[in-house]
Amino acid sequence: MRFTPTELTEEELGLQQQVRDFLQEELPPGSHEPCLGMAANKDKAFSLKMAERGWVGMALPKEWGGSDRTAVDRFIVVEEMLRWGAPVGHHWVADRQTGNVILKFGTGEQRERFLPAICRGELGFSIGMSEPDSGSDLASVSTKAEPTTGGWIVNGTKIWTSGAHENDWFVCLLRTSPMEDGNKHAGLSQILVDLKSPGLEISPIPFLDGSHHFNEVTFNEVFVPDINVVGDLGMGWHQNTTEMAYERGGPDRWLSPFSTVEQLLREAKGTELEETVADLFGELVARWWGIRNLSLSVARLIDTGDAPSIESSLVKEMGTRYEQEVVEKLVHLIDLEYSPDSDSLFERLLAQCVVTFPGNTIRGGTIEILRSVASKGLKGLPA
Amino acid sequence: MTETSGVDALITETADRLFTQICDHEAVQNAEAVGAAPEIWAAFAETGFPWISIAEDHGGSGGTLLDSLEVLRLVGYHAAPIPAAETGMLGGWLLANSGHEIPEGPVTVLPNGTTNITASVSGAQVTLAGTCVRVPWARMAERIAVLVEIDGRNMVASVDPNDCVIQPMTNMAGEPRDTVCFDAVTAPAAPSAPGVDPAAFRFRGALSRAALMAGAIEKMSQLTVSYTNDRVQFGRPVARFQAVQQHLVWGAQDAALARMAAETAGREANRGSAFFEIAAAKLIANQAAARATKACHQAHGAMGMTQEYPLHHYSRRLWSWRKEYGGDAEWGRWLGNAAVSQGAEGLYPLITGGSSVLS
Repeated sequence: MRFTPTELTEEELGLQQQVRDFLQEELPPGSHEPCLGMAANKDKAFSLKMAERGWVGMALPKEWGGSDRTAVDRFIVVEEMLRWGAPVGHHWVADRQTGNVILKFGTGEQRERFLPAICRGELGFSIGMSEPDSGSDLASVSTKAEPTTGGWIVNGTKIWTSGAHENDWFVCLLRTSPMEDGNKHAGLSQILVDLKSPGLEISPIPFLDGSHHFNEVTFNEVFVPDINVVGDLGMGWHQNTTEMAYERGGPDRWLSPFSTVEQLLREAKGTELEETVADLFGELVARWWGIRNLSLSVARLIDTGDAPSIESSLVKEMGTRYEQEVVEKLVHLIDLEYSPDSDSLFERLLAQCVVTFPGNTIRGGTIEILRSVASKGLKGLPA
Repeated sequence: MTETSGVDALITETADRLFTQICDHEAVQNAEAVGAAPEIWAAFAETGFPWISIAEDHGGSGGTLLDSLEVLRLVGYHAAPIPAAETGMLGGWLLANSGHEIPEGPVTVLPNGTTNITASVSGAQVTLAGTCVRVPWARMAERIAVLVEIDGRNMVASVDPNDCVIQPMTNMAGEPRDTVCFDAVTAPAAPSAPGVDPAAFRFRGALSRAALMAGAIEKMSQLTVSYTNDRVQFGRPVARFQAVQQHLVWGAQDAALARMAAETAGREANRGSAFFEIAAAKLIANQAAARATKACHQAHGAMGMTQEYPLHHYSRRLWSWRKEYGGDAEWGRWLGNAAVSQGAEGLYPLITGGSSVLS
């Protein structure tokens, strides 16, 4: 494990400035209710505008509609969008991981069918991993795909499927051959499923504050054509693990409370709160600076062709806990009874952080699972 | 030992090999008992490492600030009981930037400044009176480099410790942190170069500690991974237990965070203004030290609480260094004021741009 310090080149700083200018024009501060990180609103019009600038699927090859940009370039765009609280929800999953999976493992036909549409900001994807009886023990998934003429018949249930009621497709981890004793990682495959397929039933699982993100998706004899199988049959676990390396360690794992913190400074400036805020902000800017440098070095490693899975797990575990720590510090320091309906934007955002951030250390792999992944990797080090 | 960007791999290899040979557990333990380690110093001085980053025409070994920070990181990694920071990037820097000769032996500095000292100047001499505490290795120093402001001008005096009364004291790791009494001591003095002032000295001291601390946390983290994979309880290595894994992961994260912060601050300092990065790196090192010592001790169980096992060489140094050249409150306040002064729109640009947006 080694995090090599890196910094943005002149060209990369130029991109950062372009994104800042774009946001200043499209979403000037005060004109929109900032979103808290990747759980952002879906705003297809906004996604299309980003795509026009080549900022959706930007690391994908030009051949498939992308911009041949680097993981670091994508880091810069994502970082600026999230810290601004921009509504990136529509293209989020496709941009972060699905595009990569299809590029890496998909057929030529799948690349042609999906990648240009992803890069145009048109397609929204969901992730079909968890099931009612398979959460952290993901390899135990039991939703079954059985062969039929020209494709597969799928039966089973996926759960916690964010955005299934609004998105177009989802990438499912399915069992394509029965579980063998002692090797539960075999027999799994990744298959693209059209969320409008007959027999697919999508029902909401209301989030604790009543909002609708999660769904339960039930497959009742759903037909999926052969051409939707991603990569090799039975290699789903390996592909899924690779996908996770893209999912972990990025700005979405440490920037979620930033808009709240920035808004506190905006509202406290010139009031008696300013001094209290100064006491807190020293630590906040130092930690954000430090974690950002680690996260940026992971992106740079990806660009050199590495798959930094230990490093990205360490950053995600640290970053998501830090997000919760920030909220706790705000709650501790600012003596207000905040409400989701408050006139103060800071108070509304803080209320939302308090209620939704327990999920940050759960989604995309609990921190307990991340610790297990990372500590196995640490063992190989000299001591 | 993995390489460090911007630093000749030969420096890393040579310093690591040297300290591996001369700073084993017993040698470090013995240095603490005796109160000095002249043989370790002699071997270190032989290589020229103490004077890296001081130009050769000033009597130094050449090389960059990054090189000397890399040596300090390894001093921390091996708990080497020597005044490496004081002789080179702190004391040597003061002497070289005021035209003083660099002595052959160790140099020390007054980490907490000279507010307790009255100074008067007469020609090329200053006279100092007062007492300074927690002066590293004053008992074995050949010179004390004293940066003092007289009549609005920054002067560096090169004081002979034999002219002072030195009372041996230690920090929590048993490293010499002596009390030095200047009883109207007269010493040669000269104005310092522009930019060599008490504020710059404070930041430089903090940077030296950030590098030492990054090395010590990394070593502690590695000891912990190794120990918990060897130690068997309930029929398996304790590292297999999820409750223990959390300590391993937290230790490794803080090692990575502290090293990233120290190296990034070093890179900026080597180029120019690095106030933001150094303040952030020291605050990060302080807090990482607090968390990592807790996690690593917990994972070691009772063994980590003994003198026989080496964990304490690192944990006690970290508890001490956390408070040297600025604790959490000092750097937290500095950074907090910097952040608030940028306003809401400038907050994120400060995090990405650091000192470059402050200047």
